[in-house]
Amino acid sequence: MPKALETYKMIELLSLKKIYSGNTVVEIPDLKIAKGETVGLVGNNGAGKTTLFRMMLDLIRCDAGEVLSAGNNVARNDSWKNYTAAYLDEGFLIDYLTPEEYFYFVGSLHHLSKTDIDEALGQFSDFFNGEVLDRGKYIRDLSKGNQSKVGVVSCLIQKPQILLLDEPFANIDPSTQIRLKNIIANVNRQERVTTLISSHDLNHVTDVCQRILLMEKGLIIKDIQTNNNTLEELEHYFSVLQ
Amino acid sequence: MTTTLLRHQWLAFWRSKNTGKSIAVRVVMAVLILYLFANLLVLSFFLDEVLENLFPEMEAIPAFSACLLYYFLLDILMRFQLQELPTLSVKPYLTLAVPKHQIVNYLSVISLASGFNLAPFILFTPFLVKIVLPQAGFFMFAAFSLSILAFTLFNHFFSLWLKRKVNLNAWYMLAFMAVIGLLAFLDFRLHLISFSAVSTTFFGHFASSQVLPALYLGAAFFMYLINFYFLKSNLYLDELRSAGTAKKSGTDIPFLNHFGRPGDLVATELKLIFRNKRPKSAVLMCVFFLSYGQIFYNNPEAGTGYFAPIFCGMFITGIFIINYGQFMFSWQSSHFDGILTSRISAQDFFKSKLLLFTIFATISFVVTLPYVYFGWRIILVHFIMYLWNIGVNTVLVLYFANRNYRRIDLSKSASFNWEGVGATQWILSIPLLISPFLVFFPLQWLGYPEAGLAVLAITGLAFLITRQFWLNKLVAIFKEKRYMIAEGFRNL
Repeated sequence: MPKALETYKMIELLSLKKIYSGNTVVEIPDLKIAKGETVGLVGNNGAGKTTLFRMMLDLIRCDAGEVLSAGNNVARNDSWKNYTAAYLDEGFLIDYLTPEEYFYFVGSLHHLSKTDIDEALGQFSDFFNGEVLDRGKYIRDLSKGNQSKVGVVSCLIQKPQILLLDEPFANIDPSTQIRLKNIIANVNRQERVTTLISSHDLNHVTDVCQRILLMEKGLIIKDIQTNNNTLEELEHYFSVLQ
Repeated sequence: MTTTLLRHQWLAFWRSKNTGKSIAVRVVMAVLILYLFANLLVLSFFLDEVLENLFPEMEAIPAFSACLLYYFLLDILMRFQLQELPTLSVKPYLTLAVPKHQIVNYLSVISLASGFNLAPFILFTPFLVKIVLPQAGFFMFAAFSLSILAFTLFNHFFSLWLKRKVNLNAWYMLAFMAVIGLLAFLDFRLHLISFSAVSTTFFGHFASSQVLPALYLGAAFFMYLINFYFLKSNLYLDELRSAGTAKKSGTDIPFLNHFGRPGDLVATELKLIFRNKRPKSAVLMCVFFLSYGQIFYNNPEAGTGYFAPIFCGMFITGIFIINYGQFMFSWQSSHFDGILTSRISAQDFFKSKLLLFTIFATISFVVTLPYVYFGWRIILVHFIMYLWNIGVNTVLVLYFANRNYRRIDLSKSASFNWEGVGATQWILSIPLLISPFLVFFPLQWLGYPEAGLAVLAITGLAFLITRQFWLNKLVAIFKEKRYMIAEGFRNL
């Protein structure tokens, strides 16, 4: 990775477009995200947040434009998978494995041994709150909230440079939400992980993220560096929409 | 109330999301099921002759009585394996003002609509009308009919009850089947015990003890009540599913560590197979297919040509490739997005599939080596078909897997479950089943069947040697199609 890219443009979206049966669901002319930035993505249902995430992860084909990760087009080059971790929904979990088996499997993809994984999991015992590990349950038998915890932790143990989470605060209890905020803030501070989070919880997202992107009907209509007024500004936007 | 619930079930069937898409599939399946029933019907018309061949020294009716209990034993075995109670469909009614006993009644009634309950009547009615009615009179006819009805209902409710009570896995089933086989062997071949005498006590004395049918009906009703009260006291969401399972423990297979990343993926896929109902049943079917050769090789006429060994060899060594492979990658549809975004290269992904196929084909080949009893020639042909399967058919199956966009819900049971069945499976079966014969038959007609076998073997080997080439082709297609596949798998 060239030095300039590393610090400046970790992720770059260029004239990106997705059209479903005549409707443009995502249209982003130009967006750059620097290394170490934490970006929050907000917007009402149908604004195109998940579609955007899926395009960034090369899960759906872009109708125009490209997504560059560290300068490489994600659709042509798989190298982004080496440093990107994402959890969008339960479709990312192998649900017939136990959480431990799943973590070991994900770890093995990154050449991490079982001991490495066990050590890494040790940091998350508070986060799991004793409900996930050593319970002898398959992931499919866990509650939605606990599945979401498994998904988030499986991302973190990969030690990614880019982290994508779609509504990580949904389905989990308030204590865990606060723990999750701290974890995200920590990995960002310590490892300079570039983080993208979508959320409907304006409080949390303005707490965690240095930059907020507001989406409406596929367009990014606001790109704000978070400050004291951001929460108010967003609340104003969403209440006017009603 | 029960009728309202039935009407809802009807609506659920027609308004389900994939009704439109799969109506053609359903029609084909209906035809297949009718065909199966037609087979039963044909068998039933010749039942007296079958019995005469099996028991030349016995009259038709006593022979029938002697066998009937065997039928019901097999019936209950099949039910354990295949029968399902449509429980979760009642979920929305549990909190509404619908009395519990009506819900349970509905569950019991709807569960009766099953091929298992129809089969004995199709199978036995013609025999009863043709033989029993004229030979033994109306009373015997009625007694047999009622007893068969009673045993069918008893089996029905007994299997529903037991399935919920205890967790019976495939190994118990196999053991149970082995016991039945052993009983029949000891009974008919060695004459050591007489289970058929037990059957005769059940069904052979209607003339002297006329209350027997009523007794059986009483037993069936009793079983119904047991099932009714069991369901009624356990009508809670968490208890409706089949009986609980023990703590899950990981089983790792050290052997697979030799294969690197693809080996890891195979280990994970094995967990997929053995921890989910539907793929597990698909693999269990493979076990049954291992005995496929028995049907052909026992027949001296079929044993002489090369057709039977080629046909059987293809199925015996390749049934896993055919039966499991036809639904690839739908098995992984629920976490396909995860696979695409994780650090698994398409190369490794495909290599793991080839490895999985090769492992199963090899096991099948080795396990069926005892067919050597029917001659070395058969094992040789099996080996050639083994090469063909792991060389050609694996590539073929994966080629079609790249065109399969249908989601499969792993947790649902396999029997009469057409989810994920589409045009791909039908089209796939044509080249899969025909291609070896396209190679073999022309040469046989020219008078060189051995040359035909040699060409089969060489083709299989050639594909094996050039595996990397085909792998690259498959990966290239996969890269092109992956969005379509992932899109299709996301549609619930």
